[in-house]
Amino acid sequence: MTAKLQVNLGGLVMKNPVTVASGTFGYGQEYDEYFDIAQLGAVTTKSLSLEPRPGNAPPRLVETPAGMLNAIGLQNVGLEDYLAAKAPFLREKNVPIIANVYGNSADEYAELARRLEQAGAADAIEANLSCPNVHDAQTARGPVLVAQVPKKVYEYTKTIRSATTLPLLIKLTPNVTDIREPAIAAEEAGADAVSLINTLLGMAIDPETRRPRLANIVGGLSGPAIRPVALKMVWDAVRALKIPVLGMGGICNASDAIQFLLAGATAVAIGSMTFRQPDAAVQIIEGIADYLARHHIGDVNDLVGRMQDEG
Amino acid sequence: MPFVKNCKILMRQEVAPDHYRIGLRAPEIAQAAKPGQFCMLQVAEGLHPFLRRPMSLERIFPDGVSILFKVEGEGTRMLANRAPEQELSVQGPLGNGFPLDRAVARHLVVAGGIGVAPCPALAEALVSVCGKAPEVILAARAQHLLLCEEEFRQMGCTVHVATDDGSVGARATAVEMLERLTPAPGTRVYACGPMPMLKAVAEVAQSRGAECFVSLETQMACGQGACLGCVVESRRKKAGEKMVRVCADGPVFDAQDIDWATHNFAYDR
Repeated sequence: MTAKLQVNLGGLVMKNPVTVASGTFGYGQEYDEYFDIAQLGAVTTKSLSLEPRPGNAPPRLVETPAGMLNAIGLQNVGLEDYLAAKAPFLREKNVPIIANVYGNSADEYAELARRLEQAGAADAIEANLSCPNVHDAQTARGPVLVAQVPKKVYEYTKTIRSATTLPLLIKLTPNVTDIREPAIAAEEAGADAVSLINTLLGMAIDPETRRPRLANIVGGLSGPAIRPVALKMVWDAVRALKIPVLGMGGICNASDAIQFLLAGATAVAIGSMTFRQPDAAVQIIEGIADYLARHHIGDVNDLVGRMQDEG
Repeated sequence: MPFVKNCKILMRQEVAPDHYRIGLRAPEIAQAAKPGQFCMLQVAEGLHPFLRRPMSLERIFPDGVSILFKVEGEGTRMLANRAPEQELSVQGPLGNGFPLDRAVARHLVVAGGIGVAPCPALAEALVSVCGKAPEVILAARAQHLLLCEEEFRQMGCTVHVATDDGSVGARATAVEMLERLTPAPGTRVYACGPMPMLKAVAEVAQSRGAECFVSLETQMACGQGACLGCVVESRRKKAGEKMVRVCADGPVFDAQDIDWATHNFAYDR
């Protein structure tokens, strides 16, 4: 018997519970040389902004214990080029598209969502309210991310919600005291799902040159180093929400992915691991199917939130 | 078309203190590879170090490739400790490679330090494809760090040796040696080495009307165009094209494409 792998992520039907994390998979074509990307439950695009963005000055990367810091700064081709040059390839592949968007204001997010829906170039919108490498507002104490302020999460989500009928995912930052607060704000404003976690803020200094290793000084930490933190935040959010969670953060193999499902994530995204193993996501899909067969579970949805924590 | 393959280590040599050559059996990768391309090597079975290491192809053989590298940190140390008969996961070939053009009158290869790594494959291709052995400026800090001299001579190259301390060859930098060899219109310079050297080589070539192609090295995560981590600033004007990816748009660039003025050399080690 082959187990049922299909999941419904806030209205986005995925044939299996695995997508890729925004920013780790380009616009899909980059990895189609290694495997047929139509095997994925969905492709999540690099963040799209209305206008092209050059991103941050280099160096943008530094490796850290079991992970990496990045400060890319949302370099992207912009909406027009995405619609003309990137979306047609994904449409031809017939794989669901989660279009990740970034705006300088709530209205920009809304416009991105509206135009992507009109163009038929997305099956779901993931609003990146949590990129650590660009700043919505700079205060004396440093940058504030939209996703760090629940009231703003509510306002932004409400505005984007009114602009699109597509499933709306709100991507949240782990750089908060209590992940439930922004997650609940997103739900109350009409989000269909939340994606978590984005990267954890971090930094590294080169003792020889005494300079920061990133030109941006701070960056976002990803990779297996952050997985336990991500798992705990997913578990926290799931118990506070009625809408589903797309879980991500350091997932490297099927057993990592299954931990997120057991903690309550409806689906998972594979991020930095793709850099190390280009076909990591499809290996994880196969590994989940093997796990279900081995445990005689007929439907992957029967795993979701089923951590056995009693007795 | 890149592959991800488990490749057997055929040989490992310490060619200078902390400098190694590894030969890999990799028929599919070798058959697809061009000089100037690179591979991403997984140095550890476990998840630390997490990222693959980009390595230029030193030589391309019918059934395999060799790489040449300097131990710079934990990852390259682990790679240096891998023994023959073990397998390494290799992703490649990646990147664009050097241009090969028969019409070029004079080929001048400038190799600084471990920047020599992609040059033997280039010289070999210039001989076989363009029918002309290049002149090679082989520069290093001192005699014991001078690599591949014999390989170049066996290919028929004229080798101009320069060392910082004068322990062998001329006491000169790669850039001073290039000036002495008077590149001119019709000359194509190919350079690989530290960023300050590449910038100076580009200036010499440009001031003398010679073409110049540089092979760059930056920190990479994906190695194939997705993560945008390895970029350098180009002279292209449009916001979406300003930052070019060393992994996918390079690693070989026309030196005039690079915005050398904005490069922050303080971060280079």
